[in-house]
Order: sequence, then structure tokens, then C-alpha cells
Amino acid sequence: MVRAKLWAVIRREYLERVKTRAFILGCVLGPVFIAGVLFVPAWLSLRNLRADRANLIVIDATGAGLGQRLRANLDSASTTPKAPNTIDVRVTAPDGIAAAESLATRAVVAKEFDGYVVLDASTMRGERARYAGRKATAVGEMRRLETALRQTTLAQRLEQATLNPALVDSLTRSRLELQSEPLTEKGRGSDASRQANLMFALAVAFLLYMSMILYGQLVMRGVLEEKSTRVAEVVVSSVSPETLLAGKVIGVGAVGLTQQIIWVIGTVYVGSYVAPILARMAPSTTAATAGTPGAAGLGAMSMPDIHIASLLLILLFFILGYGVYSSLYAAVGASVNSEQEAQQALAPILVLIVASALFIQPVMINPTSTLAAVASMFPFSAPIIMPLRMSLVPIPPWEMAVAIVGLGVAFVVVILLAARIYRVGLLMYGKRPTFRELARWVRQS
Amino acid sequence: MTDLAIDVQHVVKRYDQHVAVKGLSLQVPRGTVYGLLGPNGAGKTTTIRMILNIIAPDQGSIRVLGKASNDPTATDRIGYLPEERGLYRKMKVRIVLQFLGELRGMTRPEADRQADYWLERLSLKTPDKDWGESKVDELSRGMQQKVQFIGALLHDPDLVILDEPFSGLDPINAQALKDTVVELRRRGKTVIFSTHLMDNAERLCDSVCIIAHGEKVLDGAVSAVKSAHGKRHIALALSGDVPGGVAAVLSDTTLVTRVDDQNQFLELELARDATPQRLLERLVAAGAPITRFELVQPSLHQIFLQSVGAEGVEEGMSGQG
Repeated sequence: MVRAKLWAVIRREYLERVKTRAFILGCVLGPVFIAGVLFVPAWLSLRNLRADRANLIVIDATGAGLGQRLRANLDSASTTPKAPNTIDVRVTAPDGIAAAESLATRAVVAKEFDGYVVLDASTMRGERARYAGRKATAVGEMRRLETALRQTTLAQRLEQATLNPALVDSLTRSRLELQSEPLTEKGRGSDASRQANLMFALAVAFLLYMSMILYGQLVMRGVLEEKSTRVAEVVVSSVSPETLLAGKVIGVGAVGLTQQIIWVIGTVYVGSYVAPILARMAPSTTAATAGTPGAAGLGAMSMPDIHIASLLLILLFFILGYGVYSSLYAAVGASVNSEQEAQQALAPILVLIVASALFIQPVMINPTSTLAAVASMFPFSAPIIMPLRMSLVPIPPWEMAVAIVGLGVAFVVVILLAARIYRVGLLMYGKRPTFRELARWVRQS
Repeated sequence: MTDLAIDVQHVVKRYDQHVAVKGLSLQVPRGTVYGLLGPNGAGKTTTIRMILNIIAPDQGSIRVLGKASNDPTATDRIGYLPEERGLYRKMKVRIVLQFLGELRGMTRPEADRQADYWLERLSLKTPDKDWGESKVDELSRGMQQKVQFIGALLHDPDLVILDEPFSGLDPINAQALKDTVVELRRRGKTVIFSTHLMDNAERLCDSVCIIAHGEKVLDGAVSAVKSAHGKRHIALALSGDVPGGVAAVLSDTTLVTRVDDQNQFLELELARDATPQRLLERLVAAGAPITRFELVQPSLHQIFLQSVGAEGVEEGMSGQG
């Protein structure tokens, strides 16, 4: 009998929410948004690669043809033949630098060029060159220019030391890159799968964080609606408030799971269309040199090496974490009279969630630190931090046990407290209760 | 015992600042229409909520339909229309009714059939328009109240509890409600309603209980209550110019304790030791132009004012002592 009623409550919560326009829109837009968040940066960095044509004036006062050599170097490093560099090498005498510079400045201001480089005797000595222009703050471009300059200067100096120019060219041109791979007790993983793991961990933490807030709010609004439309009184005359609370939390949780499953499937689906396009856009060599995680991860399109056991653990943390937070939200919904009051009363809960989210970055940077270990075991941050951490590093079994047991205990305690506040608050109208009154409600019922 | 639909024994409910119900006992026989009367804040809603096991009493016991009030097989036999009414605004009327039916232990198809029956009966479903397919917030207030009423009756309950059912009802809906209450009574159901509108109570109730300040003031069958207060009330009508001596007679508290001007006539309540004959003599002596002098049964309204008023006075005295 109680089960049939609980089922009726769950059914209503689920169907009424799944049928809303907001849910359907969310299901459609979610994958588009997630795909956007994942792919747009990758796409942008690929586009930048294509657009990295040099457009500058080289003022060459070395008298050794360093300018010509720099142009040749930049030309050969250019990625796309479609967009050739525009490099204007202006050879000048050392005392003509000032005049050439003012001329170049005017050209840059007139947007004919992005900037100019001054090469002089100190450059030849391997000390410095100067750049002035609109892209002076673009770190990537400056680094490329610097690399080209170093190579060119080195070649020029080797040549002056009477080495064979052809030999110098072939020796100085190198495309060395550093490949890193993680080494753990499980063995070694490839660089690409490490990137994928990182992305996966971040996505999981973000998804858990969002769902605590979003679905918690949904539970709270549902409670508030029942309270403010006064339908609660009819309902609790037929089922116990505990059954109603349980049905609400389970029903909304099922809505959340449904939405996330649709999101994951949708993202993979959209991703399977977008990734090949990106891969085609990016020639393999440049994708490797680009060094952006998105491009590298996508180019290889490698799956994160996640085991079923990890997925089940993540699900467990989601369920327990969602249970803790949504019960808290339900208690808030039952103890206030309006949405405005609710926003104020939510502050302590939001502090808990947002504080957990603040740990995401430090834990990602150093998942083995004491801070990371504590944050992943503390019941209120564990639902977000532990799934993140376990996707990055192996977790000692005792830490995992502490996290799960702690969260489980918190889950039971919070639900019992919330059910009591809910029972009293649901039919209490008027002034918002103080903490002391809430404590009395808990003791009363 | 089992011929009682409700048996409330010495129930006490305390809130933070005050005691809402103080040792209340009341018995409602099965198959009657029972009125729970009292001024606002008398503890009617609290009592009803305890009967429905929405809140638990601090002391005392409550049995409903022969079972403890927290027995779910008992709660499923109760229909309840709360004073503060509302429905899920975004839901379809039919789905809301199905849901409410399921909460009372019906299956969904069963609830759906009953919803159809009631929607038709209360003319929310006509060949032209089926409001059952509309969302709740597309309905007018009156229609929403009908839907709530259906929600309380859907599962054919043995006991129907209506908290201030007439508040906010237009005359047509009020009539529909009265008709339904009478029919439920005819089918052997028990109906309890709380109200502070004495006219409705007087017309509909078999028995009443008047409570004030959380305590029972009086209870019993309406006829018994009235006859207990009978023979003490006189309808007096005067015409034309009234000599000044008449006012002096009416304000003599050894004769008349209460004068209620009903516009068409005055309703007088005799003092304990006075007789109608003595009053009539005095009025005639004062030269009153009497057009009507009649011994009447007091209205429930009169009894209510009298008893609750007396209660108030007693409380004031006990406060001083």
C-alpha cells in the first residue's frame, strides 16, 4: 500500500517534469552546449593555426642578410600555403634604424602590418632583437617568432664561423617536441589517454556539481509549489510526509539521471560528427605542434581508460550526494514561504556546494596532496571531489571506504533531519523560522 | 464503539506559544452530518488535522472508523477538503484526480472512471467541453473548487471531512455542495464539516459541537441543543412610535439579558428568573405598540453567540482570579 503510494508520487514527479518544455529544451540544447564547450576551443585553436601567417616588417641593420634568412625560416614554418606570409625585409644601415622604425610605425598604425622587428648588431651577437606591434601580447606568436629568430641567428653565426650553409640549415631546423606519459601502479598510459582522462574527470566533476545545484533546486521548487498552492495538506492527509519527501527526491533524481544519460549519448553522437571535421581541418603535423589539449585529444580521439567499477562508484557518489543535497533543499523549501525567502535560506547549502567546486582546480593540479585527500573524504565535498580525484589517480582503498561510509552516514542523518523539518514546515505558514526554531521542529516531531 | 465514525478522547495539542486544543472529547455517530462550529482560531482545523493524522496529538486518543487514526486502512476511507485549497497548477485536471485517487489507494483506471463520473455530474464534462483535459490553471476559481471537491469524494469515502467548505463558494457551487452532502448522508456516509456560518450548519447538521479556545462549549443533536436553549427566546415586533418606557423595560436585566435587533423584529433572551408573562405585562404597562410577541426557538447563531460569549467572560474572570 505504502509502496503503491510512493510509486504514485514518484510517477507524478517524474512525468510532470519530463513533459515540461524546459526539460525537452534542456535535452536538446545540453549536448549542443557541451559539444560547444568541448569543441569550440579546439576549433578556435585550429583556426588560429591556419591564421598564424606572419605579417611584419623586418628592419635588418645587420648587414649580413639575417632578415632574408628570417623570412625564409618563417615561410618554411608556415602551415598553410593558401595564406602566405607578408614579410617586408628592409635592409638599412645601423644609423638608419630610427628613420626606418618611424616609417614602419606609421605602416603598423595604418594596419598595413601587424608589427616590425629590428635586427641589429646585438642580434648578431645573439643578445636581443626588438619587436613592436599589435601582437606583442600574443604569447604563442611571440614564441614562434622568437624560435625562428634563435634558429636564424644561430645559423647565421655558425655560417660566419665558416660552416657549410646547407649543412647549417639542415642541422638547425628541428621540430623536437616533448611527449609525456603518466606512470602509475596500473602501468603506463599514453599521453592522449591521459588528456582524455583529465577531460573526463573534469566533465564528471562539473556534471555532478551542476546536477547537485540544478536538481536540488528542482526538488526545492516542487516542495515550495506544494506548500504555496496548499496542495500539500491534501497530499499529506493520504501519505506520510516521509513518503512524499522520498517520492519527490527519487522522482526528481530519476529526471536528473534521464537528462544526463541523454546528454552523454547526445554529446558522443554530436562529437562523432564534429571530431572528424576537426581532424580533417587540422593537418596531423600541426595538430601535434599546436599543443592544445583539445586538438591533441580530438586528433587521436582516444577514449579515457575508465573501468565499469569506476563508473559504478561515480554513480554511487552521484546518488548519495544528490540524496544529501536534495534533502537539504527540500527542508529549505518546506521551511520558507516564497522563492525570495528560499534564495536567502539556501545560502548555507550553496556555500557547501560552491566550496566543493572551489577544490576542483587544486585537486586537478595536485590530486595526491593532503588537501585533495581531505576534500575527497569530507562528506559534503566528497560527491564532487572523489569522482574527480579517482579519475586522475588511484585512490587508497581506506580513503575510498572513509569517503563512502562518511557520505552514507551523512545521507541518513540529513534525510532524517530533513524529513522532520519537512513534516512540520509543510503546513506552517507565516514567518520564516530561525535556526533555533528549526532545531525545535526537529526535536518536536 | 464501532458505531462511532470518530471518537476523540481528551485530546491536547500544544504549539510553541499556546495550547490549540485543550482536552477536547467528541463523538461522531456514523451516518450523520456533524458540524464543528467555532470562531476563528478556536482549534477546528487543528482538531481536523489530528483526526486525519496530519499532526499528532500531544495527549489523548483518536479513533477513526473504529481504527487508530494512524492506521492507513482508516485514512484511505476518509475524504478531505482542507480549508486552504489548491491544486498543482500546471497539471491536467484528470491527471491530478488520478493522482489523488491513487494516494487514497485506488488503481489508476478506477480513479479515472470515478473522475469521469464526477466531472460529468458537476458539469465539468459536457458534450461541448471536457475540462478534465485542461490544465488546472485554465479553470476558473469556482471550477477549481469543484475539482477539489471531486478529489475528496473520488474514492467513495465512508467519512468526509470538509473544513470551511462554504468559504469562497458562489451560490451555485454552494448549492451543489449542499446537495452532495445530503446525498452522502442518504447513502449512510458520515460528513463532518467545520464552519463559522451558522445558517448552513443549522440547515445541514444532525449534530453539532461548538468549540472555543480549544475547548468544547457544548455538543449534541441540533434539536436537543435548541430545545435546551428553548423557551427563553421571544420575537418582539413593535410598530409606530415607541414610548420611552419600553426601552427601560428592555434594558432591565432582571427581565431581559440580551436584545438582538433583527430589523424586522427584536430577538429577546429572557433572564433566568423572568417569565414571558411578566415581560408581556411590563411591556403593555409601558404602552408598547406590540404587533408580534412570540416564543421562538433560538437560532444556532443565537446559541453560538450566547455560549461563546459566556465562555469569553469566564475566561476573563479566571484571568483575574
